[in-house]
Parts: sequence; C-alpha cells; structure tokens
Amino acid sequence: MPEVVVIGGGHNGLAAAALLAKAGHMVTLLEREEMLGGLAAGEEFAPGYRTTGTLHDTTRLSSEVVEELELERHGLRRDAERPAVLFPERDGPGLLIGGNRAAARREIAHLSGRDAARYGDYCDFIDRARPVLSSLWNQAPPDLGDPSRRASWGLALKGVGLRRLGRRAMLELLRATPMCAADWLNEWFETELLKAGLAGPAVLGTHMGPRSAGSNINLLFWESVAQGAVAGGGAALIRALEAGAREHGVEIRTGCEVARLFVRGGQVQGVALAGGEEIGAPSVVATCDPKRTFLELLAPEALSRRLEHRIDVFRARGTTSVVHLALSAALEFSSRPGQAIELARTGGSLDEIERAFDLVKYRRFPESPLLEIHVPTVSQPELAPPGHSVVSMLVHYTPFDLEGGWSDARREELGDLALSTLERYAPGAREALVARKVLTPIDLAQRHALTGGHLHHGEVALDQLFMRPSPETARYATPIEGLFLGGGGSHPGGGITATPGRLAAGAIGVR
Amino acid sequence: MQTATRPEKRSYDAIVIGGGHNGLVCAAYLARGGRRVAVLERRHVLGGAAVTEEVYPGFKFSVLSYVVSLFRPHIIRELDLARHGMELIPLECSFLPLPNGDSLARWSDPHRTRREVERFSKRDAETLPEFGLAMGQLARVAKRFIDQPAPDPTSLDPRELWRILRLGRSVQGLDADLQYLNHKLMSMSAVDFLEMWFESRTLMAPMSVSGIIGTFLGVHSPGSAYVLLHHYMGEIDGAFRSWGFSKGGTGGVSLACARAARSHGAELVTECEVERVLVRDGRARGVVLADGDAFEAKVVVSGCDPHRTFLGLVGEEHLEDDFLTQIRRYKLRGSSGKVNLALDRFPDFSCRPGDGPHVRGDVAIAPSLEYLERAFDDAKYGSFSRQPYLNVVIPSLVDPSVAPPGKHVMSIFAQYAPYFISEGPEHWPEQREAFGDAVIDTLAEYCPTLKDSILHRQVLTPWDLEQEYGLTEGNIFHGELSLEQLLFLRPAAGWARYRTPVRNLWMCAAGTHPGGGVMGAPGELAAKALLRSREV
Repeated sequence: MPEVVVIGGGHNGLAAAALLAKAGHMVTLLEREEMLGGLAAGEEFAPGYRTTGTLHDTTRLSSEVVEELELERHGLRRDAERPAVLFPERDGPGLLIGGNRAAARREIAHLSGRDAARYGDYCDFIDRARPVLSSLWNQAPPDLGDPSRRASWGLALKGVGLRRLGRRAMLELLRATPMCAADWLNEWFETELLKAGLAGPAVLGTHMGPRSAGSNINLLFWESVAQGAVAGGGAALIRALEAGAREHGVEIRTGCEVARLFVRGGQVQGVALAGGEEIGAPSVVATCDPKRTFLELLAPEALSRRLEHRIDVFRARGTTSVVHLALSAALEFSSRPGQAIELARTGGSLDEIERAFDLVKYRRFPESPLLEIHVPTVSQPELAPPGHSVVSMLVHYTPFDLEGGWSDARREELGDLALSTLERYAPGAREALVARKVLTPIDLAQRHALTGGHLHHGEVALDQLFMRPSPETARYATPIEGLFLGGGGSHPGGGITATPGRLAAGAIGVR
Repeated sequence: MQTATRPEKRSYDAIVIGGGHNGLVCAAYLARGGRRVAVLERRHVLGGAAVTEEVYPGFKFSVLSYVVSLFRPHIIRELDLARHGMELIPLECSFLPLPNGDSLARWSDPHRTRREVERFSKRDAETLPEFGLAMGQLARVAKRFIDQPAPDPTSLDPRELWRILRLGRSVQGLDADLQYLNHKLMSMSAVDFLEMWFESRTLMAPMSVSGIIGTFLGVHSPGSAYVLLHHYMGEIDGAFRSWGFSKGGTGGVSLACARAARSHGAELVTECEVERVLVRDGRARGVVLADGDAFEAKVVVSGCDPHRTFLGLVGEEHLEDDFLTQIRRYKLRGSSGKVNLALDRFPDFSCRPGDGPHVRGDVAIAPSLEYLERAFDDAKYGSFSRQPYLNVVIPSLVDPSVAPPGKHVMSIFAQYAPYFISEGPEHWPEQREAFGDAVIDTLAEYCPTLKDSILHRQVLTPWDLEQEYGLTEGNIFHGELSLEQLLFLRPAAGWARYRTPVRNLWMCAAGTHPGGGVMGAPGELAAKALLRSREV
C-alpha cells in the first residue's frame, strides 16, 4: 500500500510525487490519460505534426523544483533569458520584446524614445519589487485567519520584507497591486502596441480584461518570476519530471482515472478508480481542480456545508480555446519578413484587448480574438515534416458557457476566426494549411477534466489569489485529514510552474 | 442664508477655500476651537456639490448630491447640527420597475421585502436577512476606518504602529467567515460577490449598482463590491438605516454646517473666487482672489479636489516632481451626470401606478445585469450610455417644501456619462441635450406620461460639473474610489493626513481619506489634525 497517492500526472502532480518520494514516502501517481503531462503534454494533433504542450509559457517553472529534483541531469535545459515575443502589426515592424533589455529598448525606441527610456525604469521597478513578489509567489500563502503567534510572526516578517524595499517603492508596490493593468501601463508608456503586448500576462487565460481591477498583480508576478523558457517546452519538462519521479521510486500508473476519494472519520482512506479498483493510502495529493476534488471526487457528506459553498462559488469560467495548425510552410509575419518568430501575441492596443474581452461577459466570442501564438517548429523542426511548421494558438476570449452552446459548427467558426485573425499578421497561413485542430473550453474541460474549462483551474483574480481556493484549504492541507491540494487551484495558481505541487509536497513534509 | 461677498479682515488664522459641506464642517470645527476662520466660496451659494438651488421658480433642486447616508453622527452631535436645522428623512423603499411590467420594491421593513423577493426567488428571500447581517457586521469594521485618519503602513512611530495593530485586530477579531467575506468584498466585483449569495439576477441588478455609483467601474469590474458596504453603513438618528433626504434638499446639510460655523464666529463669504494660494518660501501665506486682492492666513485649507488644489491653486512651480507625478496620475475621470426636472404632476410608473410609498424612496432603472454592463461598455470607449443606469428620486413626495402644491421635483442621477468622450470633453455642450434626451427616453419607457409633465429640465454633464461646480473631470467624489486611491494612498502616498508638501497648506475634502459622499468626515478629520498641529 502506498503512503501517498498523487492524483494527476501533470507538472504539478509529477513534481509533488517526485519530491515526496525523494523525502522518503512511497508514492503512487495516477494519471487519467494514457500519457503524462496534462496541459503541459505535447500531442500529435495531425499525422506527422506535434505540439509541445497546450500551454506555451514555461518561463515560470520553479527553479527550486529544477534544483531539488536535479532535472538538468534528466535532460532539462533552460534558456538563459526570457524568450522574445513579437507584438505584430498589420503594417509595421511591430515590437520584439524579450529578456534582453538593451535589445527591447532599441526596439521600443523606433516607436517612442520616451517609452524606451521609461522601459528601463519599468524594469528597474520590477527588479526592486522582485524579492518581495517572488517570495510571495514561491511560498505557501500566509495564514491570515490564524491568530496564533507563529502566524502573526510570519505576517510581520512579510511586512518587514516589504518595508525593506524602502518607503517609496513599498508604497508604489502597495498601490500597483490592486490596479488594473491598463491604468498601470498607461502611467508608464504612451505606445499602444507596447502596452497591449506587455498586458498579455495580466489577462491571458483569465476572465478579465486589461481594465479589470486586480489584473495588474498577475502582470507584476509574471514580470518578477518569469525566466528563460524550457527548451522543448512543456513536453520536455514532463519527460524530465517523469525521469526524476521514476528515479526516486514513484510508481506511475497512466490510464487510471480516479472516480472517488474515500473518507472515514474525517480522514482520507484512499481512492477508487473508475474501473472499480481501490487503492488505500493515508495521504492523497489531488492536483485536479478544486471543484473536481471536493464536489465530484468526495461524497457530499464528507464536506462541511461551509467548505462546499466556498468551493462552489470559486470562480472557474474558462475563456480560452486552443487552435493547433499544421502548415506546409514556415509561418512568416509581415512585421518581420524572413525572420523566424517562435512567440507572438496579437492585440494592437489595450482597447482592442478590452473589446475582445467585452463579449465574453455576454457569453459570446469576439470577431477579432486575441491570439497567443507559439511556433514550436522554429526551435524544434522535428515536430513537423521537413519545411513544414506547427502553430499552436491560445485564443481569447471564448466563453465556456457560450450562448446557444458549443457545437461542431461553432467550433469550426472559431477556428476560422482564429485563422483569419492570424492571417492579418501572417498572410499565407491559410494557403499553407494542412490540418487544424480546435479545442473549445468545453473540449478542454473534457480532455483534461478541467471544471469550467479554466486553464488555471480557477480564476486568478485578487480575491482568489491568497485564499486559493478557500481560506481553510489555502495552505495545501484541507480539513479532511490526509487530503492535500497541489494543482493550479492552489497558490500561486495555474500555468506551468510546478510550484503548487512543490508547496503541497512541502505541506506533507519529510517522512 | 445671507452671506458677505468680501472678507471683513485682512488676515485670518485659517482660510478655507470652497464652501462645500466638507469645507464648512472643517471651518466649524476650527471656529469652535477658537480660531478666526473665513470660508471663501466661488459661487453665489454655499454647499458645493451638496447644494439646493431654485433653478426654476418655486422648485428647489438638490442639484447634484441628492441623498444623504453616511453623514457621521458624531459630527451632528459635536456641531449641534440638528439645532442648526439639519433634518434627515429616511428613505423607506428602493423601487425597481421592470420592462416586462413587473417590479420589485425593497423596503426598510425586512418582512415586506421578503414577500417581494419571494416572487423572484424563494431561496434569495431567505438569504437576504443573513446577507444583511453579515454586511452590517463588516460595515461596523469599515466604520472604524472612516472615523479616523488613514493608517500609515510606512510609519515607524510606535504610536502609529500600535494604532495599525489595533485596526488590524479589529479585522482579525472578526470570525473566520467574516474575514473570508471581508477579503472577498475588498477585491471582487459586485456581481461576483452577490452571486455568492443570490440566484435571482433581477434582484442582483439593483443591488449591484450601489457598487458603481460615481466610479468608472462596471458591475462586473473587480473592485466594485466593497462599495456595496455603503448601503449598510448609513446611519440616521444613530440607527442603522440606509439613505435619507435632507429636508429642504441636500443643501440643507450644508446650510446647517454653515450656521454651525457662523455660530462659532466663522466668516462665510460667497461670490469670492480664489485664484491662487499665496506661496512664499515653500509656505502658504494666504490667498489671492480673482480680482487680485490678497488675504493672509496662518494656514490655508483647500476644500477643492487634489488636481484643482495643486495643479491650479498652488501651481506646479511650488511642487516637487515626484509629488506632481503622483497628483497628475491621480484618477478622477467622472462617469456620471444629472438631470433635474420640474414636473407639473406626478408621473405614474405604469408597472405600479400611484404616488404611494414605493416611489417615496429611490427608483432604479437597472433592469438587468447585462443592461448595466453594456451601459459601462459604451463609456469605456468614450460615449455616454445610450441606455444609462438611472437612480431617480422625487423628494417633493416626502418634503412638500421643495415644490409648489401638487407639483414635483425629480432628480435623476445618470450613469455612464464619461468626462472623456471620444470627441474630447470640451465637446460635451454639443451633446448635452442628446444626453438629456437619452435619460428622459429611458425613463419614459417606464413612465409614459413623464414627457408631458415636464415644466423644466436641467441637464448637467461631467463637463458642467467641472465648469460650474469646480469638480475636476466631473468626478463627484474628487477622485476615483478604487483601492489604489484609498486610505494611505489618497490622494498621494505619504500625503494622506490632510497636510501637503506646501507647509501651512492643508486639504479637507473628498480627495482625502475617507473619500467622497456627504459624510463630513474629511472636513472633521482635517480640522482635528490641524488643531493638534499647532500650526494655527
């Protein structure tokens, strides 16, 4: 009998399992699909064409996980600096902004000398705020409800960390966190294209537009935490994590869907698989989303009404669709003819992004969706036949609960919209199209067992950040003894980070 | 009220710029403390945005602010405002007419409300009292924050740290459920917060709007939930109730403050425009009037908003870049307008005819959450809402003194009317009547006889609020009430204690903690800080 069962074989589940095994626990990991990886898994979406994962952004991968599991020994490679992202224009060179600040400033200077200078100040501010923000990001959230001396002391220490920034930077950070990204970026910059491009991390994957208050904290976190990308994307990370987990003796079982969690006397007893098999274990780490964990896997009587209500009102309304394209040629952006571009983000102005967001409030999708474009074949040509390319796009904003419901026709309509939007920046995409695959929020919900189809396992807004998903479960342990949360529904949220998994393993501790 | 148009003396202990209710409260406290005070008001009438004017013969309009809820009871006591004529009449009902002929009235009597809400959702009717109780408890904590100066988290002064600790304890002292709610309330959108409790979207629509009044937020915008608390913070006669009319119009509140100030010896001067604050060697020495005449004072207190105070009256040359940057980025961007009507007769709401108690409170045109959000979408891209949210009151039904017998005044608050329309704010005058028409047309759908009963209409756009009433960008709260502009950040980090970087210049109005609304708190807190400072 294992000591810990980990539900879910995505980056968080693998990290939690490997770290627990390293700490001396006997661990069994159960993955519902035949393949590990979840949203970080690559897939062959058309014969001969592969992606490196539904999610593109690997820049926030936890360095602690990389070090503790010695993932580099298992083949993980990270770029030295953040990847450059193209903010394309229909007629103009666009902006190519990456981790190289001098290069970024040169790019910006073509559009605005003032903004180029201010970009330097902006990065300096982030550098000053980084120690505070990254420690908030990388640690279990403070327990605001615990009046004990230890908890108060922890809070006080956080306050001291904040105070160390200096009075001005501290006040500035306190002011910036609850703002909307649009106001914040408008204070810094005048170039619409730059503001729109930088706003991406504030809103991508969320049910917020750049004018939604609180979106700025997502941007500040991203700017503080993002580093070089993982070479080979999510798929490469999963391979390294799997190797690390196996090395420490984790038993990995795929194709094993957990149907139920057993609880007796307030203590978790194990899990039952969809096939009927029962696996007993004194501890379970659930890396599926909180609604699934509490409202589907647990019997209702195992939960207090209060917790049930809090999980029920935890917002997880997915807004993102995925479109993979197989092209018979390289993708060329008119902004950068002849240049191989791996990452691009559309949305020429803050208003354009906001307008794309507006309709999702009325359960419709926009005519000009916002695209986060990843062309993995730029660095890994082997993902497609020679000379061909793969384009994987996150498409915003598309409601989970589309008015009138999703159908094959609406799915194809969305695919066409995404393609024609792409064509505005990269003419020729349609002509080179070999195959495409469209995944709506409903499809994502089904494929990845994501309630509401939300890529982050729940909205990442101010009210769902530090009490994520609820005050009594925010520190990975839950009121049900032995049951821990370790997915994107826990702090610091979704995206490829492996951080919730690491922090959940930390909550269980060393054997 | 008779006022002079010229200050009597050449020099004062304190000159207060602006005779709005906060300026008057501040002056009253200073005069009560034995200081020689003059209040200089640019317009011909005292009150600022809390003003009653007879715009059309026989009809007294509460031109801008039209209901009172948060006026601090201890100010009423300390300044003896009741004796000076302040009288508040509680609103008994919030009425929501619906386009399908149905309607929802929420009464101050919970049992009556329950019966109304039951028609929309039995579950919600049962939840309402529980919701009210929780909000009431949170409001009590919030009041501790508005009744004292904003805490300064950067301070190392042991007294300040002790105060912060005590304030923190008042939050920590809440039970875990309320702490959870408090956290949610401070950061969520009004709709998301209400959805945690209720299912009927018809009920949620009129409840959610109290989160957006006067702000540049939609009901779905995060940050709009906490303003819901305002509805549970109102106190009239020390009892927890929500909103009330001031007898004789909202100007009655200001006049009571003015009388109190005068009774302590303050001088009240109207039609006296201050052009600038006299600054020498980094100190405020007095004021210069529009006609060039100068008056001296030991301290100058500005009741104007931060933009007008620093970018206008003081002048950029007297301020450091860092402070100026903070003031320039302080967000005002008004979002609302007013339409005031003189009516020949009472216009029936077709869904519930008659001038019964249901229309003696406020009437909301907020038929659905989607309607409200779309109204906001218009504003985001620079045009007024084609179908605005309206909050209508007919004070003549409960206070006959404001209109001739049988006639009525109707005050319509309309949102959104963004100051920054895409043509540029100076083009508002060309759109004023179109905006007025949009408001009247919207209301006429529910009151078919409205248009025929109008004797006179006054339309006030954000541009008018700025030009006539001195509210920069037409913001009725002297600056947005978003989280980043509250507490120790209002109006600027490090300058949230009524002092300014110009020595002997102070602030006393809604651009300082705790912000806008007819509550008198900034004026009172500024005066008390000033009296303690020994600067005067």
